[in-house]
Amino acid sequence: MTRYLVSRLIESVLVLLVMSAIIYGLIGLMPGDPIDLMAASNPTFTAADVERLRALYGLDTPLWQRYLNWLWSALHLDFGYSRQTQTPALTVMMPALQHTLVLAGLAFLLAVTLALTLGVIAALKQRTGIDSVINFFAFAGISVPVFWCALMLIIVFAVQLKWLPASGMYTIGAPREFWDTARYMVLPVITLTLAYTGGFTRYTRSSMVEVLRMDYIRTARAKGVPPRRMVIRHALRNALIPVVTVMALSFGTLLSGALITETMFAQRGLGKLIYDSILNNDYNMALMCLLFATAVTLLCNLVADLCYAWLDPRISIR
Amino acid sequence: MPLDAAPTATLLSATGLSITFDMGVGGLLARLTGAKRQQLRAVNAVDLTIASGETLALVGESGCGKTTLGRAVVGLYRPTAGTISWQGTDITDLASPARKSSRREIQMIFQDPYGSLNPRLPVSEVLKEPLRIHGIGNAAEQDARARTLIQQVGLPVDALNRYPHQFSGGQRQRIAIARALGPMPKLIVADEPLSALDVSIQSQILNLMADLRTQHQLSYLLISHDLGAVNHLADRVAVMYLGRIVEIGPRDDLFSRPAHPYTQALVEAIPRVGQGKRRRGRSISGDVPSPINPPTGCAFHPRCPKAQDICKSDLPALTALGDLSHHAAACHFPERQP
Amino acid sequence: MTDAVLDSSVPDAGRSVWALRWQRLRGNRPAMAGLLVLVLLVAFSFSAPLWEWVLGIDSLRADLFNRFAEPGGKHLLGTDEAGRDVLIRLMYGGQVSLMVGLTAAVSAAALGTLIGITAGYYGGMVDKVLMRITDGVIALPLLPLLIVFAAIDLRKLGFGGDFAVTPDAAFWRIVVIITIVQWTTVARLVRASTLAVLQREYVMAAQVQGAPARHIMLVHILPNAISPIIVACTLAMGQIILFESVLSFLGLGIQPPTASWGNMLTNAQEMIQQAPALAFYPGILIFVTVIAVNFFGDGLQEAFDPRSEPR
Repeated sequence: MTRYLVSRLIESVLVLLVMSAIIYGLIGLMPGDPIDLMAASNPTFTAADVERLRALYGLDTPLWQRYLNWLWSALHLDFGYSRQTQTPALTVMMPALQHTLVLAGLAFLLAVTLALTLGVIAALKQRTGIDSVINFFAFAGISVPVFWCALMLIIVFAVQLKWLPASGMYTIGAPREFWDTARYMVLPVITLTLAYTGGFTRYTRSSMVEVLRMDYIRTARAKGVPPRRMVIRHALRNALIPVVTVMALSFGTLLSGALITETMFAQRGLGKLIYDSILNNDYNMALMCLLFATAVTLLCNLVADLCYAWLDPRISIR
Repeated sequence: MPLDAAPTATLLSATGLSITFDMGVGGLLARLTGAKRQQLRAVNAVDLTIASGETLALVGESGCGKTTLGRAVVGLYRPTAGTISWQGTDITDLASPARKSSRREIQMIFQDPYGSLNPRLPVSEVLKEPLRIHGIGNAAEQDARARTLIQQVGLPVDALNRYPHQFSGGQRQRIAIARALGPMPKLIVADEPLSALDVSIQSQILNLMADLRTQHQLSYLLISHDLGAVNHLADRVAVMYLGRIVEIGPRDDLFSRPAHPYTQALVEAIPRVGQGKRRRGRSISGDVPSPINPPTGCAFHPRCPKAQDICKSDLPALTALGDLSHHAAACHFPERQP
Repeated sequence: MTDAVLDSSVPDAGRSVWALRWQRLRGNRPAMAGLLVLVLLVAFSFSAPLWEWVLGIDSLRADLFNRFAEPGGKHLLGTDEAGRDVLIRLMYGGQVSLMVGLTAAVSAAALGTLIGITAGYYGGMVDKVLMRITDGVIALPLLPLLIVFAAIDLRKLGFGGDFAVTPDAAFWRIVVIITIVQWTTVARLVRASTLAVLQREYVMAAQVQGAPARHIMLVHILPNAISPIIVACTLAMGQIILFESVLSFLGLGIQPPTASWGNMLTNAQEMIQQAPALAFYPGILIFVTVIAVNFFGDGLQEAFDPRSEPR
């Protein structure tokens, strides 16, 4: 078990290393060049100044050398400065991460609760009207473009009904208080919840259907185990194994997947930070956030696998 | 018996043939820590020859290595040690030109007629596949050949347009035989060709194989645990136990005067008409030991009624019995030949 | 030889697996509805030039005197912020979405098939390395990565400046980057099928003949792996259309003036006060397309389920 864990961790670190190299290379391919940008914003720059700055920032060295330098600092948790804010990238990311965790966490909890309820109902009422309706909504959930869903919510609840604010994180000028922030969170949380409930529901349903088909459930039914107890004691526990795995996997993507929602509602979370830093050539920022998102996804993968092993006694990890 | 007749050309000969499989999946970490892998010796230092026109039967319980040996002969497995030669040329190396050219002449029939025909291909394509691979004839000639082949195995020509799932087990085995006949082979390795079939069908396939042998001057390497079928078709019989040949000899000799205790038990277990279910006598008890950790000395000793101390320590060599130079057994205490 | 008489109770050869599958698919109402909607969407999108001709509209020409026109007359859905006909632009946008979806799904499936079949067939180290890469790609945060890819300056990759800004470049860029992240599902499926097929004796029968790897892959493995590939391809198409729309919406995909449902929404977003309908149409079309693809793909999956098939 320990050996498995260690080898998986080593693998994850390797993937992260490879990813850092690839992303580092990709970011260099994006339009613009930090020195050019500086030169453009400052008319007194001469060509000689540009050369001097290039040498100063080490931009005249080969790519791999720059990458190794960056890696060395990164290993000391020094991810450089954000170009937009002129503060260390890490200090910019922390509040954004916190915000995303609240947003994504809330949406995740809601989605899981909804999905488990709907999925189990659909599986128990297989091939009935309720099942079809739930199934249709689950399909709708995985088929709807998230940004359009957000747009529609804004049009209905913010523009037409004027119940909720369209975007932002708090009322500017008003005192910061809980209810104010909460009002701004409602639409983003709903959007993100809708985006994830569909897939989770389908997964819960199919897993549950699979389990209900098993012989031991039929036996329990034949023995006269009350349906409610059977569902909870026998079926749900086994059906949950793959569902939990998928959900754990999804949580990793939820952090960066909130990108669209955050962008649509102008919420300063991790996703919007990644988006903004890519568009604004904030290389250090983008690199760090992307790697952080990758690390979280990898970690969630690992947790998902461990969950699977832990919940399913038949699988023993060497 | 062709054996005692004028010496015929040796078609295939294997010398000191061993095939070892690596067991267990080693991860990166296991590799780095140098953990040792377990090995399975499926075939262990086997010598055998097949003469032109001869049928050699390979018998033994499942797991004794007879299938592995057969697959090595047709070039599905690379031998770990030893050599295989075909009409005097070494074909051990699977990439050698000699092996490549021998592939046309050594064909195979498989055990499971449901698994050995691709369900997505119509019978005509199944039959033409070997011809295409070996570049035999043009498209029209291949079509004509397929029609001949299907009739040779007793199926109507319109069977060519059908798919494998539309045939019964026996019919499918006929198709598989037709496929093997396609490139005009000299040797056909038949791996348990009857065991998946109904008893009533078995004798038909057996007769078909016997007819084809005379029509096409074929040799067979018949792999089977069914001694009745072996008795029907084989000229010579080799008995395998845990990867080694423990007794080899002409069919009648071996069946009437088995020398190795294992062969005796096998022969006595043959059901015979009019003699009740089974003849009384020594039957072997216990299971076949794991080939990963085979017993020391003679591998049969844990199950052998005659086992002595020497059997636990020394491996008996395959030795000719008396003046019957064609009959040999690997036993410290072989049954005396009368 | 009683055995040699053909068994006539078995259905006819022509009615192979595919006929059975089609029969099962036809019985699946949501799937058939999805298929019908898809056919209608294709007809709708590709009839754009016809409508332009019939109604006498040039969908590319801006008409600033006729912005946000009400629906009616020759502009059945009105005009957008540049006075262009919304309906015709929706049709052209549909062409882009469907073409991106189809091209990227097929190319991702092709790449995945190549990788999966190689890993499964050769096994050993090749398999290990390829599957590690697959696991690695699956673990990546897709959306941010797509944005990075989409933001790459093609000129820095050595493409000529002329090509880098053409609509073609935008189209192929999207196809390529989606292929890079989408091949993993198919790779895993094909690898599994390959391993299963390699166990079959008919593969051994071909190997006995000394069949080259290419022959075994093309004749034996691919036909047996084709159904999971088709299903995965269909379901991927839905996801790809969503990816395309979001990238175009963010301004990183199909570039105006070429219409795409995604980039039509970019402008509409700023006009939600004046013209909320402009934000409605493209989105509902994306939604309808994707849900139709998904229902159809799900039906295919059920119809292709090997548990209900003869061997």
